[in-house]
Amino acid sequence: MTEWFDLNEVDENAIATFMSRVANLRTPKPETRTPDAAQLWCKAKLIARWEAERRAQRPLDFMQPIEIAGGLVAAGVLLYLSFLA
Amino acid sequence: MGRLDEAAFAAFHARTSRALRAYVYRVVGNASDADDIVQEAFLRMLRADVPADGEEHLRRYLYRVASNLMVDRWRHRTHEQGEDVMPELTSAPPRYEDDAAVAKVFAELKPRDRALLWLAYVEGESHEEIASSLGVGRRGVKVMLFRARRRLRDLLQSRGLLVNS
Repeated sequence: MTEWFDLNEVDENAIATFMSRVANLRTPKPETRTPDAAQLWCKAKLIARWEAERRAQRPLDFMQPIEIAGGLVAAGVLLYLSFLA
Repeated sequence: MGRLDEAAFAAFHARTSRALRAYVYRVVGNASDADDIVQEAFLRMLRADVPADGEEHLRRYLYRVASNLMVDRWRHRTHEQGEDVMPELTSAPPRYEDDAAVAKVFAELKPRDRALLWLAYVEGESHEEIASSLGVGRRGVKVMLFRARRRLRDLLQSRGLLVNS
């Protein structure tokens, strides 16, 4: 249990009494159907898989605009050379 | 150190979810938000793949995640609405015997104070445990908890509720 300091005994008792009332307050039932442990487990596994896929996909996503830009530059150079010839 | 398997998680969930929800609900003051936060805390704990070296360690991690989520949500709401969205106390002084009045007085405290007081008095956690649950320093907890208790005392005093049992 936490060791207290600085408040007098009367205040401390009042706070402890109040907090025991707070502890015993009724907590309303969930408003929506909350997932049980099995559903949470499945959801966490699914999210982990999506994240792994996203991680694997990231270098490809990064390279794609570079490839397109490279292609456009190459096409431009070829076009330029064809005009010169 | 093993990892949590599905059966161990189910047992852990059964033992902790109710207490965690009561804690979150009492701090955020809204059942729907509490359900979201509890669900997200469990999901983050699973995704973090925390080593299952003792239930207390897992529990502490879960409470820390939930506490951070509550702070994030509160900050977001405060930023969005430009004010503290925690319920206000009605002008009529509440009676101590009334559960709703007790809830309202508690709701008038700052979320961080509510979390500290709940962990200390309801969960019976030590300073070290509270520090771990909230992800703050042990020394800071002592001071924050003292201030939270003083604010609660002042609040009870101002409402005429400072009665010794």
